[in-house]
Amino acid sequence: MKRLFDTGNAAITEGAVMAGCRLFSGYPITPATEIAENMSRRMPQVGGYYIQAEDETASFHICIGGALGGLKAMTATSGPGYVLFSDPYGWAIGSEVPVVVVNSQRVGPVSGITGAPGQGEFYLSRYPTHGGNFETIVLAPAGVQEAFSMTVEAFYLAERFRTPVTLLADQIVTDGLESFDLPENEEELRAMGLRVIPGKAHAGPCFYPATSEIDIPPVRLGRNTGGACSDWTPTEEGYDTEEVEAQVKHAYRLTRKVLDHRDLIDRYEGTCLEDDPDVVLVSYGSPSRVMASAVKKARSLGLKVGGIRLKSLWPFQDRLFARRAVYLTVELNLDGQLVREVQRAAGGSAVHFIGRCGELPTAAELVEAVIGLSEGCFPAPKLWERWAW
Amino acid sequence: MDRWARRWLRERKIPSTACVGCGLGQVHKKVLMAVEQLKLGVGDVVWGTGIGCAGRQTFNTWKGDNFAGTHGRVYAIATGLRTALPDDKKIILTVGDGDAFGIGLSHLLHCARRNLGVAVIVADNFGYQSTGGQYGFTTPLGCVTDSSPYGTREQGWLQNDIDILTLLKDAGATFLARHSSFEGQNAVDSVVKAIDNRGFSLVHFIYPCVTHFGAISLGSRDKEAVYRWFERLFQDGGDPRFRSGVYHDARGSRPEFAASLREWTERVSKENSTTTGKRFD
Ligand code: SF4
Repeated sequence: MKRLFDTGNAAITEGAVMAGCRLFSGYPITPATEIAENMSRRMPQVGGYYIQAEDETASFHICIGGALGGLKAMTATSGPGYVLFSDPYGWAIGSEVPVVVVNSQRVGPVSGITGAPGQGEFYLSRYPTHGGNFETIVLAPAGVQEAFSMTVEAFYLAERFRTPVTLLADQIVTDGLESFDLPENEEELRAMGLRVIPGKAHAGPCFYPATSEIDIPPVRLGRNTGGACSDWTPTEEGYDTEEVEAQVKHAYRLTRKVLDHRDLIDRYEGTCLEDDPDVVLVSYGSPSRVMASAVKKARSLGLKVGGIRLKSLWPFQDRLFARRAVYLTVELNLDGQLVREVQRAAGGSAVHFIGRCGELPTAAELVEAVIGLSEGCFPAPKLWERWAW
Repeated sequence: MDRWARRWLRERKIPSTACVGCGLGQVHKKVLMAVEQLKLGVGDVVWGTGIGCAGRQTFNTWKGDNFAGTHGRVYAIATGLRTALPDDKKIILTVGDGDAFGIGLSHLLHCARRNLGVAVIVADNFGYQSTGGQYGFTTPLGCVTDSSPYGTREQGWLQNDIDILTLLKDAGATFLARHSSFEGQNAVDSVVKAIDNRGFSLVHFIYPCVTHFGAISLGSRDKEAVYRWFERLFQDGGDPRFRSGVYHDARGSRPEFAASLREWTERVSKENSTTTGKRFD
């Protein structure tokens, strides 16, 4: 095991290399540029290819083409580029092409501030393309070590589910420097709970079985199997069709293959949940690290508080919010995205929201909010009071 | 279906769903004739298409491997695919004029710049016909279409001093040709050269759409009248932009993108091999 002191971007790069990624295509954008730079150095070293694309749309499509030819592929961007992924996302989801997509979220909307973190693509990562009738798999790292491990896992899930998998990070995670462990052999990798599976080719003849089965290798082109894939509604043989029945089967497959195998996807970390706390903080990514400090501090003050850190965002883990409590989501945005989903999942429980735009909240602010909520009133003395849910 | 078609095409896709009288089938057939002339097998070719009449009518007709990209994106998909596939695997893209010269133009120019080893066959029907007949980037000036009821007035890629093939040549394409769909062996020869080229080739085919362009812009759905109008475009002594034949032949003058990327990568990996690059699977 190697111990390195480096950025989340470096960890993502090494995770991809280890997972077998041999094609990276990207387009420079802060704060994800460093991933492209690292990949331009690392890919040729390991016999892989770095292609700097003409735009984000191209970068994802180049990855799709590489994956169709049998290469494990990854692209990385930030919000303004992520929105341009909409077109290829649909293609990759519809044709069931495994590609790993990294989004280092920065504050928005639009270009916003290049070097400030944000969490504005929570819903966009659920619905990254048009048309509906699909599910997405999204993982959210909160630190450098996790940036490494989740990248490896993203490739694993992409291959098993034959779908694009998104790593929804943020600028603090990808730019942040931390020490992390880098396994040097397969045993060490396994000891970390990580698996790498080889990319396989589907021999046909059925391409889109209307089942929720996974582990069906994806369509590969160039092997003379009669493989076919397109953006149109496919029949089971890959023909394009205008038949609604075929679309229903396709939609069934794209949604159920994900929803019926949640055990492979769902990940979260609970803090102090054992004694059914009155107040539960909820977050993902960088804010969850502040949240952890706040929970610890509030506990030391005798408050019955706990924390839920979502490590996988989509499909949303509704079951985590079945317990009656007062929930408080902590997010890097002011419009409140995660809070809406928690509110939906939590049923009758009260759900509140603390949002910050472009910077993290402080642990003291969170503790203050927890004190207020424990006493039955949400104090909201600052900007976010207007967004109290 | 004749035996010849059965050799290359999926029975399910014959006959084509193109309108009766459409020139698209003539373009498609020339590509198949070129494939045969090159003595390629079904497994030697991956066939990509885009959206619109040219995409929809050629997707999955080819017996071998097929793909169709969203509008204009097939060139970027082909860039990744070319990188992943061995040199001897041919990639042929049959696309429309809107796909290639409109929404996909940036990707197309970048393929030319990189000299990507693909043969792009542009089947140009002078506009967006599968959506009902709107003007495109090669529609002749003054043409009445569904979206130019008073006649087109925008500079196109084939008017005045502008020719899209010159632009592609300057971008780095290594083989370019232009034909009408109703030509014979000379058009097949161009496609043969395009497919054979280890680099970026594009053959621009202009073909008659009877249903929309014919009916709306030319005022006739009559196949003969429409074909005669198109034939006149390519007549000797006519508009030089509608000259049949090879426009630019620089085959072999520049390295093919994916092959040189592979060579270079091999060299770098030998010189910089690291243990941390190991993949555990
Ligand atoms: S609309 Fe025009 S181009 Fe399209 S298939 Fe019919 S005749 Fe051909």
